[in-house]
Amino acid sequence: MKFDTVIIGGGLSGLTAGISLAEAGRKVAIVSTGQSAMHFSSGSLELLSCPGNPIEAMAKLPSDHPYSRLGADRAARFAAEVPGIFARAGIKTAGTHEANHYRLTPVGMFKPAWLTLEDYITVENPADIPWRSACVINLHGFLDFYPDFIAAGLNRAGVSTRTVAISAPAIERRRESTTEMRATNIARVLHGDTAKELARAIRNAASPDDEMILLPAVAGFRDFEASRMLKAEVGRPMAYVATMGTSVPGVRAQLMLERRFTALGGTYLPGDTVVRGHFDGTRLKAVETANFRSDLLHARDFILTSGSFFSRGLVATPERVEEPVFGLDVSTPVRSPELFNKDLFSPQPFMKSGILTQGSDFKAMRDGLPIENLHVCGSALAGADALKEGSGAGIATLTALAVSEKLKNNN
Amino acid sequence: MSTLKTEYDVIIVGGGATGAGTARDCALRGLRVLLIERFDLTAGATGRNHGLLHSGARYAVTDRESATECIRENMTLRRIARHCVEDTGGLFITLPEDDLNYQNTFIDACLAAGISAKEISPDEARRIEPAVNPSLIGAVKVPDGAIDPFRLTTANIIDATRHGAEILTYHEVTGFIRSGSAIKGVEIRNSRSGAMSKAFGNLVINAAGIWGHLLAKKAGVEVNMFPAKGSLLIFGHRVNNTVINRCRKPANADILVPGDTICLIGTTSDRVPFSEIDNMEVTPEEVAVLIGEGQKLAPSLATTRILRAYSGVRPLVADDNDPSGRSISRGIVCLDHSTRDGLDGLITITGGKLMTYRLMAEMASDMACRKLGIEGKSCVTAEQPLPGSNGKPDEPTATGRFHRKHIIDLPTEQLAAESRHGDMARSIEWTGSDSGALVCECEQVSVGEVDFAINKLHVHNLINLRRRTRLGMGTCQGHLCACRAAGLLEKADKCTSDALDDLSSFINERWKGMYPVAWGDTMSEIQMMAWMYEGVAGLTPDLTSEQQ
Amino acid sequence: MHNFENCTKCTVCTVYCPVSAVNPSYPGPKQAGPDGERLRLKKPRYFNEALKYCLNCKRCELACPSNVPIADIIQSARIRYTRSAPSLRDRMLAETDVVGRLATAVAPVVNTALRSPAIKAVLGATAGIAPQRTMPAYARERFTTWFRRNAEESQKQYPRQVTFFHGCYVNYNNPDLGRDLVAVFNAFGIGIRLMADEKCCGIAKIANRLTARASRDALINLESIRCAVAETGNPVVATGSTCTYTMRDEYPHLLGLDNADVRDNITLAVKFLYSLIESGEVTPVWRDDVSMRLAYHVPCHMQKLGWTYYTTSLMRMIPGVELTVLDADCCGMAGTYGFKKENYRYSSEIGRPLFDKLADLSPDMVVSDCETCKWQIEMSTPFKVENPVTILARTLDLEKTAARNRKNH
Repeated sequence: MKFDTVIIGGGLSGLTAGISLAEAGRKVAIVSTGQSAMHFSSGSLELLSCPGNPIEAMAKLPSDHPYSRLGADRAARFAAEVPGIFARAGIKTAGTHEANHYRLTPVGMFKPAWLTLEDYITVENPADIPWRSACVINLHGFLDFYPDFIAAGLNRAGVSTRTVAISAPAIERRRESTTEMRATNIARVLHGDTAKELARAIRNAASPDDEMILLPAVAGFRDFEASRMLKAEVGRPMAYVATMGTSVPGVRAQLMLERRFTALGGTYLPGDTVVRGHFDGTRLKAVETANFRSDLLHARDFILTSGSFFSRGLVATPERVEEPVFGLDVSTPVRSPELFNKDLFSPQPFMKSGILTQGSDFKAMRDGLPIENLHVCGSALAGADALKEGSGAGIATLTALAVSEKLKNNN
Repeated sequence: MSTLKTEYDVIIVGGGATGAGTARDCALRGLRVLLIERFDLTAGATGRNHGLLHSGARYAVTDRESATECIRENMTLRRIARHCVEDTGGLFITLPEDDLNYQNTFIDACLAAGISAKEISPDEARRIEPAVNPSLIGAVKVPDGAIDPFRLTTANIIDATRHGAEILTYHEVTGFIRSGSAIKGVEIRNSRSGAMSKAFGNLVINAAGIWGHLLAKKAGVEVNMFPAKGSLLIFGHRVNNTVINRCRKPANADILVPGDTICLIGTTSDRVPFSEIDNMEVTPEEVAVLIGEGQKLAPSLATTRILRAYSGVRPLVADDNDPSGRSISRGIVCLDHSTRDGLDGLITITGGKLMTYRLMAEMASDMACRKLGIEGKSCVTAEQPLPGSNGKPDEPTATGRFHRKHIIDLPTEQLAAESRHGDMARSIEWTGSDSGALVCECEQVSVGEVDFAINKLHVHNLINLRRRTRLGMGTCQGHLCACRAAGLLEKADKCTSDALDDLSSFINERWKGMYPVAWGDTMSEIQMMAWMYEGVAGLTPDLTSEQQ
Repeated sequence: MHNFENCTKCTVCTVYCPVSAVNPSYPGPKQAGPDGERLRLKKPRYFNEALKYCLNCKRCELACPSNVPIADIIQSARIRYTRSAPSLRDRMLAETDVVGRLATAVAPVVNTALRSPAIKAVLGATAGIAPQRTMPAYARERFTTWFRRNAEESQKQYPRQVTFFHGCYVNYNNPDLGRDLVAVFNAFGIGIRLMADEKCCGIAKIANRLTARASRDALINLESIRCAVAETGNPVVATGSTCTYTMRDEYPHLLGLDNADVRDNITLAVKFLYSLIESGEVTPVWRDDVSMRLAYHVPCHMQKLGWTYYTTSLMRMIPGVELTVLDADCCGMAGTYGFKKENYRYSSEIGRPLFDKLADLSPDMVVSDCETCKWQIEMSTPFKVENPVTILARTLDLEKTAARNRKNH
């Protein structure tokens, strides 16, 4: 099987690269071992967590940081492209790379964000929230949402906030299960009449004094339809707040990007794992996967977006940190106690572990030599602590666009 | 400075098994009891050991007295603490590198101590315990078991309070109130608010484990203890269903105990300075020893996920006639400081082991009664079952969710709750609209059980809740349930900033046990945990916490 | 045995489980699978009979970022811990080959009876078969009988031989599909042989916990496959994705049988054909009068095999075919699952999004690699479903293709 590009990893970075290349008419396959970390999305993408302009703040990053390798100009250019890619997949976002806004977390904190899905609550400035009162509504028995924490956060910010719990019959039925009252499972039944019933309950629960109604993000599993419908039925200012656990907007974004990619002619191979590469010197010729053992996936170029430890893009043994598919060079080959800080909230050096790359197109290195046509994008890259920096989604998308631009220019 | 109820018969310092057992024993004898614990119940050595219901076999060759005490208490605990005990049986195996001759010495010593020890063939051992190292050359079967120290301590506390005892957790004894050469009470600091108070009592019982060394110093007497650190590893599931020991002189990492949903290997043993006892860390060297030796007992440990590493401090008590500490007292040490040091009103109960906590409590209570001049009140703790262990074994106790009866005889969360709380599980609400939902999915802890724990089991924070219910002790180490439980605690308490601080501390406490074994799946887990709490939730560290 | 400890409790599996979306009595893949396994190791009493609601669609495994064999864990637990013996109804449904042999002998009578409301009511009341269901009709002549009478001799003219695992469905219900396969392969200059001894792949027996019987059949199949591969130098091909998946992966995972030596040689006809065409070994000549709007429904086990690409690529080669690949949703049938009275409601609810989409799309025909998806879609919608091999047989110009590929050899 022959492709222009084979992408290993089907999360945010892989899909961004895949869509960008497919939009340019390239024949692309994405191999994805299971679902991505997008499933735990907060509903927002972060470029760099700071007040103000995140592009300007990139100047303070160390030189081996992926953003520094891109340079601020290219970073800004690629960042400007992302909302369009999302929009063409049907995902409307608020926000720009020129100024961070703030998202509201499931426990009532405000955190800087770059792009936030259209139906989510955002504020320009937590110290100056335009609405003065709010009602946080939860669903009975839903344990992954914390109205009291959110209310406390809003009250601290000067918004007079109250909480209330409601339900609808089809959602109540979920509760017969002791475990499956999860955001994504609620979203799967929240459409049609159920959405209307819930909207009625919301209208009854909210008082005319509530300037903003906040709901856990449990609507819109496959697309925005249910979410928009619920808002329309309620007919008042209403927005969603992220939940803990699997994320409805994350799943939705994943599915919509996947759909966009396949609609462009891309081949998405879910639940498959690349087991080894076939090399010709410093070129990767083809990859063998668990499902394609004899029909290798051949391509001119390969992109590795297999993520960090959670996605097994990196694996740690008691002694070592390794890239498990190709044996690429990693920044922290020895798993030493120095990679860990005993306080979770302090900087954790292991978070910066990643694959070493060369050049502005992030060529993977093996035994100190670059592999000409294997590029690394996203959280598999070394040099960033995406969590502390608030840079995960930015690195995922910007490096993907940088590499796909290079590949598009190559011929 | 506030003052508690003017007068107690005994004030017990220390909320471990010994303190709790002493509180129960004294309360059952009609004494007015106050128990003071600096942090949480079981926060010290009680909650940081193997959870092994020793048959005594381990001590049979080297320490006959301890062995005899163990087997006697073993049989007692099976009776009175049924819901805390699992009769797993135990094996002492001889590996090719061990001396098989030792096995006969071992069996003889066990029999002499009253421990039924039966030699079985390696084949039989492999049949009883398929996880055992198949290359074993000898095996002896003994009546070991598993005991849950958290449940055991809680049950003692509950019974003590039922008989009038007062319990103060998160309160530290900062000094003694003296009158001449007699202790008349204690000065107490609230560990969280810092508020000071006083309590008066006729007798103070020092049951503070290794911290008893420091407490005695505050009273002006010397009880020479040495902290011995023991580290252990917890594996993700039960590899073995029978306790596996090495049949040789007791050494490092030679016991593998199945405990509830997990199994654990331990321990190492090293003396540490007192400066470390509140901040112990498991070192990479200890982890390596535990894994290496553990695999010799059960080879599949090599590929089993390690959930966390932790360590506890045993108090080694120097013989009174050898303060250098080279000669260590074996067994239980019960000191009357009035005869020993001329200080009235203070008893120290120390040494011993989790297995002999009841016996220690009995000895301390006997001494207390003697000193208080109370007669005719004998110990009943060896006969009277603990709360949770009443009723017939295996009798279903929960109300059951009948609308699902056609599917399963008892929902898994109710089974789990019964295995944790015995007949006390009857007080758990199952039929309320929210109560069946699971908070902790790994360990099957429901909203109803969390509410029960909050209301009945002295729960103030997430760590308390974990120790009472196993919430957060499973595979995910709390990443899925900690936030849910924080939400419930907040509801019960209505104090949001505390609840979020508590959540941060809890996650950090889970982290501390995980990073020493952070590789493989545990590495994936910790990255996910960090993402969810620091990333999605935006949680910040709790800078105020010193709770344990 | 199963590595349930890779599970990081991320709960992504629950997002994609078709059963938890509709049936709150089902504990969901995480609880039923890795979480439950840990509890069952503590005490078998933690086994929950509600695990029987698992479809074994493997969508949880596909979604799992940590490679946990969730559905295998659930199915193994059902096999190991279920206390009651399989019911008569389950045995009947599981014995697809025995029942098929008997039924084809008296097909007209059986088919009439199976369609009769009275018989359906009796089957519903006494045997627990959903009365809304019509059991698939049986053919008057088995595929194997037809093959031996009409095709076997002529196959010898082809220098290259491929062995066909027809399965119960082709043999007893849809011999036309078998004839289509013979025609397509012959057109490409390849002869078809049958296995020395073919038994049912065993999926229905595994699903109904008759694992001893399934293993006995599986061993016979594996032996036949070994011989076939040795004699022809080619893989054994099948038309059904579930039979193929079962013999490749359920044999080792659920029956504990080692098939490593032949696993790669158990394949789908579409994969085999695609590879021949892509490598240029054979050349298709298509009919010039085709105009069809096809909707491709991805069967769960096809998705798990990861081979959707082969079917869609073949369909896209056909001039005049407009192919829509539907979102990969489970149809809800899952073999014998949807026929059971207690599952009927869930089976229909699971399939609902698929049926709705088909109604919107209104294709000329639905393509699917799985016969039980076909039954479900045909029973629940007005659309006809065909195997991709049948589509090939209808869109290839068989004579010109035969001529072209004769020239090549």
